[in-house]
Amino acid sequence: MAEIFIDNNRYEFEGPTKVLQFILDQGLELPFFCYHPSLSIPANCRQCYVEAGQPVMNRETGKYEVDEEGNRVIRFFPKLMTACSLDATDGMVIKTHVTSELVRRGQKDVLEFILINHPLDCPICDQAGECPLQIQTYKYGPEGSRFEHKKVHKPKRIQLGPRVVLDAERCINCTRCVRFTEEVSKSNQLTIVQRGDKNYPVTAPGTEFDDPYSINTVDICPVGALTSSDFRFKARVWEMSSTPSLDITNGKGCSVDVWTRDNLVMRITPRHNPHINDYWMPDAGREAYKIYNENRISRPDLNIDGDKVKSSWNNALLTIAENLDTVKPSEILVLGSGYGSVEDNYVLGKFFSVLGQEQAHFVPNILAGTGDNFLISDDQAPNTNGCRFLGFNELKPDSINKEITSGKYKTIIVLQEDIVGRNLITTQDLSNVFMVYLGTNNNDTSRFANVTIPVTTAIEHVGSYVNVDGRVQRSMPAKETVYTDRRINLEMSMGRLDHFGTRFDNWVSDKNKVDCIPAWEFFVRLAHEMNKEFQYNDVREIISEISLTNKHFSGVSYERMDNELGIDLVNKQKEELNLA
Amino acid sequence: MEKFEFTKEELAVIDEIIAKYPNPQPAVMPVLWMAQDKFGHVEPDVQKLVANTLGLPESHVHGVATFYTQYYKERKGKYVLDVCTSFSCQACGAYDTLHYIEDKLGIKAGDTTEDGMFSIQSVECLGACGYAPMMQITNDIYVNHLTKEKIDTVIEDLKKDKLPEFEPIPLVQNREIAQEK
Ligand code: SF4
Ligand code: FES
Ligand code: FES
Repeated sequence: MAEIFIDNNRYEFEGPTKVLQFILDQGLELPFFCYHPSLSIPANCRQCYVEAGQPVMNRETGKYEVDEEGNRVIRFFPKLMTACSLDATDGMVIKTHVTSELVRRGQKDVLEFILINHPLDCPICDQAGECPLQIQTYKYGPEGSRFEHKKVHKPKRIQLGPRVVLDAERCINCTRCVRFTEEVSKSNQLTIVQRGDKNYPVTAPGTEFDDPYSINTVDICPVGALTSSDFRFKARVWEMSSTPSLDITNGKGCSVDVWTRDNLVMRITPRHNPHINDYWMPDAGREAYKIYNENRISRPDLNIDGDKVKSSWNNALLTIAENLDTVKPSEILVLGSGYGSVEDNYVLGKFFSVLGQEQAHFVPNILAGTGDNFLISDDQAPNTNGCRFLGFNELKPDSINKEITSGKYKTIIVLQEDIVGRNLITTQDLSNVFMVYLGTNNNDTSRFANVTIPVTTAIEHVGSYVNVDGRVQRSMPAKETVYTDRRINLEMSMGRLDHFGTRFDNWVSDKNKVDCIPAWEFFVRLAHEMNKEFQYNDVREIISEISLTNKHFSGVSYERMDNELGIDLVNKQKEELNLA
Repeated sequence: MEKFEFTKEELAVIDEIIAKYPNPQPAVMPVLWMAQDKFGHVEPDVQKLVANTLGLPESHVHGVATFYTQYYKERKGKYVLDVCTSFSCQACGAYDTLHYIEDKLGIKAGDTTEDGMFSIQSVECLGACGYAPMMQITNDIYVNHLTKEKIDTVIEDLKKDKLPEFEPIPLVQNREIAQEK
């Protein structure tokens, strides 16, 4: 195997690789700005300098030449090389800042140049705390600047598009944002204008940066030049805690990180997952914070003579249990949903099969033509395939109305599907049935339901979701409910404020905790209320039962989902065959 | 609104230009030149025309057009005085020259006189560092070794639409005076 020596240590590598990427893959550090593993390599920031050399080969003998001490003779490139664009070759010798004074000097000088016109406004900059420029200047930069002149001023607060704001003074012209629109989103909306110290990225005159993936440029901008209009000035990075999760706003289910502060979701950013979304996500998915934060159903609601009245959990349970006692199993319509997790849907189905209603249904929410074959799917729900794999009966959007008005059903149980808001049925047609709605947010269905049960969102529980390609991922709790506590639940992450804030601080409160429980837990409680044998203590029991009883999910566990960044349920069998 | 279009003949020329390269990108510069020769400027609408003609994103053409001061992104005067203020010229008093011209014409660099005769631009190195300080007139003739007197004459001449003569400057080693010293 080919070998490479980095700072006197020997490493082996296979296939073509760039030196910088190889260094990063080893968990070593080398500062850089413009390089991005999923974009082309312009080598324009010059921050990734290394000394590089190759062993001298004697062309006649085909052997490496050695000096008196028997060491290979190394011929170094005459100048520092940019590691990002340098191909690793067999026997290559690399010196980074760890062993080379020249490289240390190079890194310092490059940073001094980059900072000449940089405003150094970190205290008011959103990027501070997660800014490669800030971090690398601390680590590798010069102590001060020798530049005594007035800095070049450039446009500030340019609204590039509806979701992205540019501060041209902070830009270091790495061109990552431009390359993103050229190579990934392919909208070609950005370009660098002007030259020398005056340049910065903008759109062509008269056009807007309205790319449906525009906010990704904010993520990859190595400085605070591009900021999200929405998240701007809302929270400092170190105040938030981040939790791995997935995008629930469409069927692709991009891997994301959910950032919370005081149990409010402040922002959602993509998490690298080569199997689904690489480093990217659609802008629309970042809006999901509104679903998590706003207009939530908290505490059960009862509909008493057309008025919604808050009720106790016991009262709600009793009301539902009473109703279920009076109807025949065949008179219950069980409606699961691609918006609910695999676990919730499974327990819903199982609970009603215990009661005698074996078949659960669901109505996929697929809007043909809204997808783009990239990260936006026609499918609007994150778990449509989950319902399919659980054996739920797929109803056509126009057939549910018929089902209900046929008079077959007296009671309908709806899990997280806004059937009224989606215009699948009118409230008039629902007026003859008793409807229980389990949902996260107030909507037309919840307002009309006889009983509304608040359930947890994807980021308040552990739940699995199967995306359009059949890949199952799971979410983790990021936001506390009234009944969960991040100090006790070890799966919840703790940010600085979560650690050190107390009830007596004005930045920590209980007001953002919603009074809701996971849907599966609700059915367990309902079973108790109705004196049925039906028990799950924890969501892990549910997923392991599913993996043992449902062939689609065989071998699935949270550990595997975490370690393998989701599991492909569709090609799983094929993969296993290949292995054998 | 003014409409910008290429004629059939021009489009044929453009096709020839494109055919020289493996992809249309490199044709941006010559086609921008054609457009500027034709319309006198490459305002955003002209940039758009070039982009559409070449089938390239507008942003790309915009980036190229703004990179070079030689492309006029807005309408300019009849004569554009590109005064070099890069290093060598600067060291030889380019800013004094620039300010002299500015005062003389009563406008600032980047602006155009009211009668539409002159525009001034402060530009980067024009590769004539040996004859600093210097300026170029409307992307054409170079005027070297600028002095106040020289500027006065050039501007008076230009007002009469008389362009300065091309002045050949021999290499230092070939100059008799230089050899005598
Ligand atoms: S705005 Fe950010 S990503 Fe774009 S070129 Fe400037 S520094 Fe790079
Ligand atoms: S990362 Fe290598 S030059 Fe920018
Ligand atoms: S610096 Fe003026 S021509 Fe080079």
